Amino acid sequence: MLSERALFIINVSLGLFSVLLVLMLLAIKFPTLGQAQYALDKEEPVCVIQWGDEATPFTDVDRCCLQARQQFECRAQSKDNLDWVCGADEGLQIWLNNKAYNYCKQQPYW
Amino acid sequence: MKKKRGYEVQKKLFFALVVIVLLLSILNIAKAKGLLIPKQGPVDVKHKVVDLQKLTLDQKVAQMVVVVGTKENYWPWRNMQLGGIHLFARQTEHIFNNTIIDFQFQTPIPFFVTADLEGCVSPFGFIRQFTPASEVDTIEEAFEKGVEEGQFLHKLGFNLNFAPVVDLKDDIWKCRSFPGDETKISELAQAYLTGLQTQEVLGTAKHYPGKTLIVKDPHKYVVAAEIGKKDVYPYAYLVEKGEVKAIMVSHIITSGEVDSEGVPSVVSKKVLDDLRAHFDGLIVSDEIHMLGLKKFYRSVDEVYIAVFKAGNDVVLNFDKDPNEIYRMIQIVKGAVERGEIPEAQIDASVTRILEVKGFTVR
Repeated sequence: MLSERALFIINVSLGLFSVLLVLMLLAIKFPTLGQAQYALDKEEPVCVIQWGDEATPFTDVDRCCLQARQQFECRAQSKDNLDWVCGADEGLQIWLNNKAYNYCKQQPYW
Repeated sequence: MKKKRGYEVQKKLFFALVVIVLLLSILNIAKAKGLLIPKQGPVDVKHKVVDLQKLTLDQKVAQMVVVVGTKENYWPWRNMQLGGIHLFARQTEHIFNNTIIDFQFQTPIPFFVTADLEGCVSPFGFIRQFTPASEVDTIEEAFEKGVEEGQFLHKLGFNLNFAPVVDLKDDIWKCRSFPGDETKISELAQAYLTGLQTQEVLGTAKHYPGKTLIVKDPHKYVVAAEIGKKDVYPYAYLVEKGEVKAIMVSHIITSGEVDSEGVPSVVSKKVLDDLRAHFDGLIVSDEIHMLGLKKFYRSVDEVYIAVFKAGNDVVLNFDKDPNEIYRMIQIVKGAVERGEIPEAQIDASVTRILEVKGFTVR
């Protein structure tokens, strides 16, 4: 049997949890750990489009994210300071560094 | 005695809080799945005839929206009676096909089922490779490419492809534009569209008014470009030939031959009105979650209103949160009710959409 003190602590926790659930229901959003991590990362987002042997930096990270999202998968793979590759093994590939990939993951379509 | 009473109070409070947490959790899950979004009333369709007056404003605005088709959002998208679903990559043709069949099952007004199959840019890379537009050199090859991609898409259940790209220059992807000058690109695009549309898949010329595939200043989110006569030549050519049924408008701020008057083209009434003056097909917005567009407004609500107000018939919003899509519909509906967006304009867009879907509108 729980002590009164333990029950009090559980009730306070449940009360706080209820408040959080109400806020969620009202669509009040809190910054996530991932967003904080992204904000603290001072690296520039980099996106590179690779078609055949040609690799072209693409500065429109939003469009880069959208095209990357349309691919079947993005997998962790390192190459020239880039950390992720999206696309099939052959054909067009979209390369992202961690900063760009984390940015993409925050987009509403990801 | 007092201690025992205190314990009893804590115990009762505990059970009350457990019930509250459970109820709130259920509500949150239901909300996240879009189950709290009200279901639209039935659509009266008889012999492929739709009475526009019988559609509610919610239903009309919803018809103008294309979202991402995911299994998780199956019910909310159907309940909202949205205009279309756009599919990202899947592992097999079978999965694509099943997803589309599920979505289209017993819908009074079928969804547009859209994809970005351009050749090198494709959600089907895991399944099959297609000829990149940059490697197409003759009219015959362009037509064949259209037929091949159309057959593939039609077999899976797609009915609208966001291709071909008719930008004259592709400095970034190196494979998305047809080769040659504006005349050759226009002829190749026409042949491609003819081939694609023989397979009952509509094509979309993009990205109006051009210059979207050039390297941009990395420090600017809002991008501007000077548009020349050559850039818009493919659109004029395809419209004149009557081959193009949809045109996608970009977020670039333009001057010169097409002047967006300092705002992104996709929200420029002037750009869209000028295009509409010669083109009676579908005007499709580029996806609206781009900083080039979002940074231009103080809130996403303003983006929603601006993109509809400008005169886009089909608006691409790939937000996967069904509540946000519902909110967009309500915001646009509010703008129509306030007279900020003319209802006649919404009616005209919905009529175009329904006619393209094969309905007679009265």
